[in-house]
Amino acid sequence: MNAVGIFKELGIEYEEMKVKGNKDPRYRAKVDPEKLEDIILKFKNNGFRHFVALSCVDWIKEGNMELIYHLFSYDNLEDVFLSIYLPRDQPKYKSLRHLFPQIETYEREIHEMFGVEFEGNDRLGEFILEDWEDMPPMRKDFDTEKYAKEKYGSVPLVEEGGEKE
Amino acid sequence: MKEFELFVGPQHVGVTGNMMYHLWVDGDTVVKAETHVGYLHRGFEKLMERRSWLMNVALIPRICVPEPDVNEAVYAMAVESLMDWEIPERAKYIRAMVLELARLSAHLLAISGYAGTIGLYTIPQWLIGDRDYILDLFEQLTGARVYHIYIFPGGVRWDLPNGFLRKLEKVLNYLESRFKLYDDLLFQNKIFFDRAPDVGVIPKEKAIEWGVTGPNLRACGYAYDVRKVDPYAAYPDLDFEIPHYPKFGDFEVLGHGCDCYSRMVVRRLEMEQSIRILRQIIKKIPDGPHTLKLPNPLAWKVPAGYAYARVESSKGEYGYLVISDGGKMPYRVHVRGPSYTHGINVIEKIAPGLNIADFAQTAFSLDVCPPDIER
Amino acid sequence: MTPENPNPLPSIIPEKDWKKIQRMLSKRSLWMVHFCTGCGAMEMPPTMTSRYDMERFGIIPMATPRQADLLLVTGYVAVKTLKRIVRVYEQMQDPKYVIAFGSCPINGGIYWDSYNTIKRLDKYIPVDMYIAGCMPRPEAIMDAFLKLMKDIDEGRADGWLRYKKYYEKYKANQRRVFKRWDE
Repeated sequence: MNAVGIFKELGIEYEEMKVKGNKDPRYRAKVDPEKLEDIILKFKNNGFRHFVALSCVDWIKEGNMELIYHLFSYDNLEDVFLSIYLPRDQPKYKSLRHLFPQIETYEREIHEMFGVEFEGNDRLGEFILEDWEDMPPMRKDFDTEKYAKEKYGSVPLVEEGGEKE
Repeated sequence: MKEFELFVGPQHVGVTGNMMYHLWVDGDTVVKAETHVGYLHRGFEKLMERRSWLMNVALIPRICVPEPDVNEAVYAMAVESLMDWEIPERAKYIRAMVLELARLSAHLLAISGYAGTIGLYTIPQWLIGDRDYILDLFEQLTGARVYHIYIFPGGVRWDLPNGFLRKLEKVLNYLESRFKLYDDLLFQNKIFFDRAPDVGVIPKEKAIEWGVTGPNLRACGYAYDVRKVDPYAAYPDLDFEIPHYPKFGDFEVLGHGCDCYSRMVVRRLEMEQSIRILRQIIKKIPDGPHTLKLPNPLAWKVPAGYAYARVESSKGEYGYLVISDGGKMPYRVHVRGPSYTHGINVIEKIAPGLNIADFAQTAFSLDVCPPDIER
Repeated sequence: MTPENPNPLPSIIPEKDWKKIQRMLSKRSLWMVHFCTGCGAMEMPPTMTSRYDMERFGIIPMATPRQADLLLVTGYVAVKTLKRIVRVYEQMQDPKYVIAFGSCPINGGIYWDSYNTIKRLDKYIPVDMYIAGCMPRPEAIMDAFLKLMKDIDEGRADGWLRYKKYYEKYKANQRRVFKRWDE
């Protein structure tokens, strides 16, 4: 079954994304976080076996965190983007790493970069950053320029022109 | 039996760049592996949100160092999707040409790195020397050896210089004449035959589910290539094959696929296909403008929306999810690098059971590129 | 050169020539740590192999820092990498030299506003030679090697002595960017 068929069967509204360059259609749908696991399973059983990526978007004005689960089907040659929205101040969701193993890695990254909590993933923690004490850096209210100036710009120069032998 | 911990990297000759594998070994056998990344993290996705649509073109090639052009192409395609631009035919052909040259040079680098891990040090001397001919072509075309910043939204930055195609043809002829030597040195070598087959096997039925893409997926027997399944640039007009296990042509089929042997032979055969594609481009490249007439680059109005573009890099599927809120800068860009799955999830799963000596060749045969994991 | 290296044959070699001989020998056999810290490492394979062939200057890559004289910091330095660079640098034997590659270790380069790259390398370890550009071409790398050899010959490459002299200051700066040292 193709993506449109599945969306119709599940009664989900979808929109088609604009594509120039590539040829395959891409569908985007907003789904209920409660039902996401079943929907992904449904897609997986219908040929969408390639999990492309899990992305996170911080919508600071709306107060949302959007998680985008991106699936691709080698049989139908279609992309599906399933979005869920979580509250921004305490984003929390369940881990879906049992569906596709690489979701685990994406969850680790999103946990570190956006501060989203994934229940059931025991590998969350320090992944890319080290000794990080500020807020998760990919959040929109984190000012990277200010941070860099404060942290690295304030380090004093070591006296130059040292000793000659 | 007591387990020992072994740290492979970040300062180590057996890692592809600046990353670390943390191995637990029992005698000579790896029991468990963990990948540690982050040594190259620069926060690209954050920096891109702070730069205008056009300034990002200069930033992004640095995400994947061995093959920077894919970043430019995929970002340009995503922006074109949002802007609803159809680029001229000539630009499509030039893009395909640049991407194929980049693939050739990345494969030469990958094969020489792999050969180093099984102790064949002559191969890097030859292949990287030959790779410089491609870098010279890039230098003539774009002015730089590594970061070209040549493909940008709307087309390519300038037209081909005079006599470029003739020089390209010469380089292709030269590279093709060298393939036989590479075969003698590596692909028909007893060491390669003895060490590579059935080492580092990805289970075939799991390959797609694990997110394996590119040559590593084709070595598992799936003829999937983004150039065919989601074609872009001039690829729909070009005739080429997808080398995959067990269709190895003149090469012997050793082992049962999904192993280091198949992955390297697939790369070797892909270089032949790249040359075939480039020859067709030389013949078929149309005349015309190389870029669209662009609006004022300082004030691009990119309509709000989501766009995903993907290309086939030498390592696998490379994609950008670009989100615009209608502003002067991208709202969010997510980079989907092929090494993200190969370097962390896949290698952690296939490493148990390998010898320590085979671990390096497995890591190199997956062609993991750490900067596109952590960006 | 170092006080630990006394003149072995004071009756044959005059004391003033002994330093010269040491410098001449050490500049002709620079071994470089095999550590790809950043994207500049991409131009190292061409420099090492047949086309540019840096081995003709006596420079070869060495797998372990304990047997190396030269540390190339190839490009931007992320905080996590800086810790490893300091580790590697401190493991190297005296005399040791550092070449910083590209624009990023000079002032941050294109990552001037990144939260994870340190901007100036010489705040954390002494640097003997900078190569500007993104990324430096093999010719520039070779030129830097030759200039470094000249500096060694003339006694100007004294980064390792500066590190000893200002050790506390360098350590204090390093501690400002990474909190945990022992892991």
